[in-house]
Amino acid sequence: MKQSLSALVIGICILFFMQTSANAQDREEIDVAALGPQVGEQIPEFALPDQNGTVQTLESIMGEEGAMIVFHRSADW
Amino acid sequence: MELQERFTELQAQGLGIAAISYDTEEVLADFAQRRGITDVPLLSDDDSAVIRAFGIYNHVAEEGIGDNKDNAAVKADVEKYVSVFGANPMIVGTPFPGTFVVDRDGRVTSRFFEEFYRERNTAANIMLKLGAPLSGISGSTGETPHLDIAASQSNPDITVGSRFHLALDITPKPNMHVYAPGAAELGYRVIDVQLDTPDFIRALPIQYPPSESYYFEPLDERADVFMQPFQLIQEIVVGGSPEAAEQLAQIDVLTLTGRLDYQACDDKVCFNPVSVPLTWTLTVNQLDRERAR
Repeated sequence: MKQSLSALVIGICILFFMQTSANAQDREEIDVAALGPQVGEQIPEFALPDQNGTVQTLESIMGEEGAMIVFHRSADW
Repeated sequence: MELQERFTELQAQGLGIAAISYDTEEVLADFAQRRGITDVPLLSDDDSAVIRAFGIYNHVAEEGIGDNKDNAAVKADVEKYVSVFGANPMIVGTPFPGTFVVDRDGRVTSRFFEEFYRERNTAANIMLKLGAPLSGISGSTGETPHLDIAASQSNPDITVGSRFHLALDITPKPNMHVYAPGAAELGYRVIDVQLDTPDFIRALPIQYPPSESYYFEPLDERADVFMQPFQLIQEIVVGGSPEAAEQLAQIDVLTLTGRLDYQACDDKVCFNPVSVPLTWTLTVNQLDRERAR
């Protein structure tokens, strides 16, 4: 009984290790150039509040020739 | 904030602007008030829904604090895409930083994303790449027997990870020409910029404008040359590593020196190669450590 329990624990450990390795190995290499809309593609709609609480959309910020949308990490750190 | 400083110029180019982050409205209101940002809409995507909809959600930030956090590949990606100081729950929810330029129909016309999260094109650098350069910051001017030279830079100040450019506006004197890259195979010295860069500065290859073909009768040969006023662009990336940040933290002003090397000829004579000293001065902005109250 003790032997079977040890075998079971070892088995679980191996499975866990295999799963963890698989997760790590399954990671696709990141290519930031391939993320998000590409040239010629449409960007998603958005409606977000600005620093004054006014909701802005692509339409509301649009200029005569288009718009520049900058995604940054944080204004706070 | 460069976008605020350049807002009027960007608007004059017909571009609307928005900056999107995962910060709350309160944080953005505080930041805008502290930094005097009145024109540029700072948009709050505090549940990262828009960031996800754009497909640029930085999942590495989550991985860095998850079950696989000790995996070597995850650690390497954390350093590249999350933080050189290691993962931190505070960073979960952020995007891979970058910029989209869209037309009036909302279709992407250009996009700018960097491999290393700390490296970022300045707005002035992006506009140069879009073929609509913003006004440069004038620097020194000089003259040789063959050329008039005016140095400028895209931004007055830089910080850790800035990707900006230096420019040289060169006007050949009457009948004078200098050699473009295609003339190297004929043995001519191509006009070039050599920068003396500190460790934390990376100078990218010089960008040349289109040249023209010149027929030199005495030798019965054609060579690629510049005869009309032209501009050389030297793109620069300020390092984003902790070591680079540490070196930058110790200076208020960055002086970049270098040389413009060229050989000039007129329609009869080729003159000796010349090396002209160059200097650009940039203010170093330290990273904003002040947090929202």
